[in-house]
Amino acid sequence: MDAVQSAPPGTALYVHLPFCAAKCTYCDFFSLPAAGQDLDGVLEALLAEARMRAPQQPRTVFLGGGTPSLYPAPAIARWLDALDDLIGWRESATEVTAECNPESLDAHKAEALLEAGIQRLSIGFQTLDPKRLELFGRVHTPAMSFAAFQNARSAGCERLSVDLIYAAPDQSDEDWRRELETVLLLAPDHLSAYNLTIEPGTAFARWHARGDVQSLEEEVELAQFHSARDLCRQAGLHAYEISNYARPGQECRHNIGYWQNAQYVGIGPSAVSKVGNRRFGNPRSIEPWKRPVLRGESAAEWGEELDGPARLGETWWLGLRLGVGLSAVEARERARWSPLDGEPDRAEATAEELLGQGLLERDGERFRLSERGLPLADGVGRRFLAP
Amino acid sequence: MDPKLIRNFSIIAHIDHGKSTLADRMLEMTGAVDKRDMRAQILDDMDLERERGITIKARAVTIWHTFKGQKYQLNLIDTPGHVDFNYEVEKSLQACEGALLLVDASQGVEAQTVANAYLAIESDLEILPVLNKIDLAHARPEEVAEEIENSLGIDATNALAVSAKTGQGVTAVLDALIEKVPHPEGRVDEPLRALIFDAIYDEFRGIIVYIRVVNGTIEEKRNYHMLGTDKVYEASEIGRFTPKMSRTKVLGAGEVGYFISNIKALGDVRVGDTISLHKGPKVEMLPGYRPPSHMVYADFYPTNTGDFEQLREALETLKLSDSSLDFAPVTSEALGFGFRCGFLGLLHMEIIQQRLEREHDQDLIQTAPTVNYKIQLFNGEIEEIQSPGQLPDPDKYERIMEPISRVTIMVPSEYIGAVMQITVDHRGDYVRQEYLSATRVQLVYDIPMAELIFDYYDKLKSATRGYGTMNYELRAYEAGDLVKLRILVNGKEVDALSSVVHRDHAERRGRSAITKLRKEIPRHMFEIPIQAAIGGKIIARETIKALRKDVTAKCYGGDVTRKRKLLEKQKEGKRRMRSVGNVDIPQKAFLAVLGSSEDDK
Repeated sequence: MDAVQSAPPGTALYVHLPFCAAKCTYCDFFSLPAAGQDLDGVLEALLAEARMRAPQQPRTVFLGGGTPSLYPAPAIARWLDALDDLIGWRESATEVTAECNPESLDAHKAEALLEAGIQRLSIGFQTLDPKRLELFGRVHTPAMSFAAFQNARSAGCERLSVDLIYAAPDQSDEDWRRELETVLLLAPDHLSAYNLTIEPGTAFARWHARGDVQSLEEEVELAQFHSARDLCRQAGLHAYEISNYARPGQECRHNIGYWQNAQYVGIGPSAVSKVGNRRFGNPRSIEPWKRPVLRGESAAEWGEELDGPARLGETWWLGLRLGVGLSAVEARERARWSPLDGEPDRAEATAEELLGQGLLERDGERFRLSERGLPLADGVGRRFLAP
Repeated sequence: MDPKLIRNFSIIAHIDHGKSTLADRMLEMTGAVDKRDMRAQILDDMDLERERGITIKARAVTIWHTFKGQKYQLNLIDTPGHVDFNYEVEKSLQACEGALLLVDASQGVEAQTVANAYLAIESDLEILPVLNKIDLAHARPEEVAEEIENSLGIDATNALAVSAKTGQGVTAVLDALIEKVPHPEGRVDEPLRALIFDAIYDEFRGIIVYIRVVNGTIEEKRNYHMLGTDKVYEASEIGRFTPKMSRTKVLGAGEVGYFISNIKALGDVRVGDTISLHKGPKVEMLPGYRPPSHMVYADFYPTNTGDFEQLREALETLKLSDSSLDFAPVTSEALGFGFRCGFLGLLHMEIIQQRLEREHDQDLIQTAPTVNYKIQLFNGEIEEIQSPGQLPDPDKYERIMEPISRVTIMVPSEYIGAVMQITVDHRGDYVRQEYLSATRVQLVYDIPMAELIFDYYDKLKSATRGYGTMNYELRAYEAGDLVKLRILVNGKEVDALSSVVHRDHAERRGRSAITKLRKEIPRHMFEIPIQAAIGGKIIARETIKALRKDVTAKCYGGDVTRKRKLLEKQKEGKRRMRSVGNVDIPQKAFLAVLGSSEDDK
């Protein structure tokens, strides 16, 4: 549908590896159980797509999914070599991340990934409670999570992140604090803590609709949100985004690009790209993605290009997710649009209004969410969006 | 057509007593409609009518029936059964010489049937009692005949017994119409006078005027004068309803049909007007109708302030086919420009609102209905107000007078106690009580109209398990100890939410209203106090707690578009509300002052 567009050198690259050991019950990303699938075929097609439109000398590379660590180490290494031949990422990238799950990150795999040029590993713990792991459809134990973490450290990984989910059914704040404290004792460099979200089309959504699982009370979820911020701060991890915490300098630069509404190229099924002012995405299915890319054609099945004011609103919504917030000037630069001379910047006026309502606060030229505005980020974001 | 071979009649019946079924059967048995074309309730062609099972607009149909070897033309003019549509009933009856009084032989006489039957008696119509549903096991025709005699003073000893469902007895009804209903008196050779008894707007053909020719003849290609509006139009098509529109080119005295002249100016056609030949002999206008009396008022505001003119056009179009609707521009501090509309009753209001939304695609904010109050100023002058917002401060007037209705209720006698209790609760005064038969009783009360529209009818229905029926008419205006109940949202008075209430009920009503507002108004990012006040005194208070958590946990490159669209959709939902101050108030909340809340029971 969309013509192949080329992104400028240095643009961030996302690679979607869609296979997992099993589908998690809360997950709405495009992923498939690996059993019986053509894993190598996907790598081959990814390379074909990279040949077509991966940016040269990307500053960041992110292998997501799915579970990239599910692939055998040599297969990944060979693929990364081939990718380097195409775009020279080893030379240019200052951050190369791979998402991993505990069941597929043994000592050997960890070493091989780092050897192949991966710098940053993000391990999906999700929870340390065995019953909850089962509820989430996870195929590992808490002990395997600790082992994976240790394997990564032993292999020499200096940028190690852990993913956790809170506000699970029946989870108390004490329960969550205990779990988080335990994880923080491992001294991860980065932590993502996500409030459980019931996404349409997932097993959780079906259970929720049937009444088998209930969402927590708003007050309990809010308490857990604040617990995450408090405990992480005490452990030296600052909240640089609504759900993301890092030691200074350990923030995920690749992801920050998304919140700064920057350009990126995504390859693989379901992957989304933003090139110029255009955002477009691949099908959430293997074959409809694979067939065109193997022929050297774009697989994109949808695309959008927002007008200037809409881009500006979107930029504010995304930018306010970041702890540092954004200034009106930054917003206009990122959106690549400014009102005509003499016309007021309506987004800036909205920010001023929210400032008056105590939902935003100002730090120099920058606006950021206030303590009260933080858990209302969507309500604040809506004010900037169309219509 | 010789007027002696014409009979014009209508059917008076309560909802669900089988009027539409009887009409269907008559159409089928006289061959007006093929059995395979037959769909139930063929006369009710407005979507809303089918849904609700009530007839809103009068419809007409011509059928042919042979009696003793002679073919007769029967014109059935359909009438609505609900009290709110009494005005329509009067228009229909004006075009008839007879009426079938159709009563369900198991249910018995209902209050609205009585009201409509009296209209027919006043119009000097020949009334033929017909007992329907006699095939049902629990039919009690003798008792119901007695009820007819006791409630209406009509001899029902020879009442016809039918089953509209099976067709049993329907031919006898057709025969009786010919035998007993007088033929129209006009002659075809007289100067033309035709009565406009209804009109609808057709996008392609202009206004379709429903007429009953009283004297003379009307034919195509001639110019006609509408006496009341003083407009002249050439008849481009004349015909009758069979029930489809079928062109006859001419209609003579006594006949019923339609007149088309591609009329687009809505104000040119007025139901009740008389049509005569342009430049023909001078004729007297047919007796006008009683002007409709508006019992209930409510304001309509466009959801988008810019749609005011579209709303005006929609109301003008509706008024054409429903001349009982009245409207005038109004301004609310909270809601901007809109229209204050007068209605015959609550059902009428609801139907107009739905027709505006469905047929005219209008998004509306409607305020809670109110009655017409009269304010006596200190200098003795009387002012009328149709909205609580118009009520001046208490020190500006001597007293407020409110409309009192005389309410007739018919119930099985075991519910008398229940009815008395809710009536006292609604400031009702007992007038009298009469037994219609051993098991059914007629109760008469004087109840303030405001209480009727508040929730009396709903309460009556539930207290009598649906068996109680009522009818009402305006009796008088009486002074009452009434006060304005003000509602403040986030510290700001919202005029469209205020109401006039009796002082003794003020606190309860105030609390009930704000309890409902608390449920209807969504949480915002800040706390919203809601207060009820009489004058400057706050009598009740509720708080809508601030929304504290509204945040997407995960938002990465692959999610941006989808999550943004979700937020935009949520925002779009809010646009359908009205923003007062910085609080978004949904349509339903504006009706919160009406009816008692759940926790109030």
